[in-house]
Amino acid sequence: MGLIIAFGVAKVVRFLTRLRGGGSAFPGLVVLRLLPHVLERTLGGLPRGVIFVTGSNGKSTTTTMLAGILRAHGLKVFTNSAGGNLPQGLASALVGSASLRGRLPADIAVLEVDEAYGTHIAHLIQPRWVVITNIQVDQLNRFGEPEAVYRMLRDLSRMVSAGVLVNGGDPNAHALGSELEAEGFRVEHMAVSAEASASAAHGLVPAPLFFERLAVSLSKPVLSVVSVAGAQVDLDFRGPVFALRMPQPGLHYAVDTGLAAAMASVVLDDGFKPETAIAALEVLTPVYGRGETITYKGRDIALIMMKNLPSLQANLDAVTHPLENVWISVDEGTPDPSWIFDTDTSALSSVSVLSGTKAWQWVSLLEHRGIPYGHVVEDTKAALERFVAEAPPSAGPLNAIVNYEQMMRIRRLAGYKELEGTR
Amino acid sequence: MSAFTLVRLLPLSLGLNGSAANAEILALSLEHSGHDAHIVDVHRVGDAPAEVDAVCVGSGSASSMRPAAAQLIPLLGLVNLWRAQGAFFLAVGTGWDLLGVSVTTPEGEVLPGAGIFPSEADHQSTRFSGEVAGVDFRGRPSAGYVNQVGAVTLHEGGKSLMRVEGPQSGYPREEGLIAKGLLGTRLGGPALALNPHWCDDISQNVLEKRGESRHTAEFHNRVANAAAQARTGIERRLGISRG
Repeated sequence: MGLIIAFGVAKVVRFLTRLRGGGSAFPGLVVLRLLPHVLERTLGGLPRGVIFVTGSNGKSTTTTMLAGILRAHGLKVFTNSAGGNLPQGLASALVGSASLRGRLPADIAVLEVDEAYGTHIAHLIQPRWVVITNIQVDQLNRFGEPEAVYRMLRDLSRMVSAGVLVNGGDPNAHALGSELEAEGFRVEHMAVSAEASASAAHGLVPAPLFFERLAVSLSKPVLSVVSVAGAQVDLDFRGPVFALRMPQPGLHYAVDTGLAAAMASVVLDDGFKPETAIAALEVLTPVYGRGETITYKGRDIALIMMKNLPSLQANLDAVTHPLENVWISVDEGTPDPSWIFDTDTSALSSVSVLSGTKAWQWVSLLEHRGIPYGHVVEDTKAALERFVAEAPPSAGPLNAIVNYEQMMRIRRLAGYKELEGTR
Repeated sequence: MSAFTLVRLLPLSLGLNGSAANAEILALSLEHSGHDAHIVDVHRVGDAPAEVDAVCVGSGSASSMRPAAAQLIPLLGLVNLWRAQGAFFLAVGTGWDLLGVSVTTPEGEVLPGAGIFPSEADHQSTRFSGEVAGVDFRGRPSAGYVNQVGAVTLHEGGKSLMRVEGPQSGYPREEGLIAKGLLGTRLGGPALALNPHWCDDISQNVLEKRGESRHTAEFHNRVANAAAQARTGIERRLGISRG
């Protein structure tokens, strides 16, 4: 089918699904059906190539930050910022950005890529660089074990045309980098100082991996995260140290910030200006749903993501005072929430409302931890109403601990109509 | 009287996905019954306490099984001693497999187990990942999430822990093992949180061994209610109706 017809149909579908507040991947499915090679045709010829960002956690934030830094340096960047990390999601983002003739006004693409789909997408579009954020315990119901993710990311990394950037603060990503370097690949890394790691009670929460790894240190880092205090981070760009205030507090955001700046410095080489990168990062808003604060009926609600154990723990570690006025909402998007029993919940002083189909499993944990809780309201909308209605008027921002699917639902209920990746 | 001692065996290798929490859940149950309990993590012989009331071992990943098996070898003498002394053994997933008679790896190699549980595991069939519910050997609704490869065959002396009512297909009709002083299950993670009646059984067992009685407190009722509600959700998702 012709490009113009395919993109025309997909753009109409996109317009209609956005009117209905529907799923963001559907236009992508349509264009992939009509033009099976759309990803190769549109992204294959970008002058500065394609960068994949992948790993267990931090993909969305790192992708958004990297795109922001590159734009601040004058590049036109195509990205699937925040979400849409499967082929249909990528194609959906293309439908929004490409012209009717399928032309993409971009110099470079920065793509968040799902761990399991990385090699599949790389067969369609060879990445120049791959950024690996970490390998943590995530989606055991899907991956079986973290070692499987290590192998997936290794296979993907072997498909790069230029090199791999790893988070040297994550021992698993570091080990993968060492293995790839020993195979002859160009490997760059971002380091995290011991002081910075110690800023979070549970550090970077790497997965325990049970196989022999190369005990070889990577050479000099491109950049180091020197220290983290709340939202303040010091980054060492191989000499000059720059202080930066991040959009969100926490070691995990500092790592994402460092990875984005490190990748940008490698890609831009002599054209990279730390001051420009810092200025770009300081004006970024939180990525869709990740540490974002939404407003409903005049009350601010901070969305705290519980995608998996490391993400929830990192978010709880970043809390500076015990959380009150908390709503926990978890549904079938988290098929097995057993891991909540591994979480250090000392940051939770009480929970007001619980909702979603997995609410009672959370109640069981709260009972065992002696954390007081209020009501269980299975329906999300009813829970939102009750949470807001019963929150003390003098309370500061309310807090919602949510899985991805409930985050999407709550945003829609609160009137936030835009879909992930469409902002 | 002295506090109850609960051993958590090899929790760094066998404590994945909330399964290490079973020891905490058992300790809390004992404490709310009015008895002190403490948990000792045992990674090597030197960690082992002199007297043990219960041993909890969790699950691990497929890749952790061989390292865990190697770590278990020097502890076998102790494990057998605890069993001989009457300690209760609770084992989940890979931990149960390793404490059984043998484990057949996906490659077909047969690894000897500790021989505590009268069962053998075969990891050659595909992984099942999903919720499972049914009724246990005493007719009590029981449920959890299984995420594991292979199957387990019970030997003489071991009875099925629960009869599976859902899912309707794709998972064996029988789950787990119950025997004197032994409870093994593939319901992963904090199986005792979703099934506090098993926690009550184990508490009763260890208390009786010390000549103590079990008192039910408000805590136990609240925990049981949360678990019952959570199990009802699982049953609903699996299409099980209890009328």
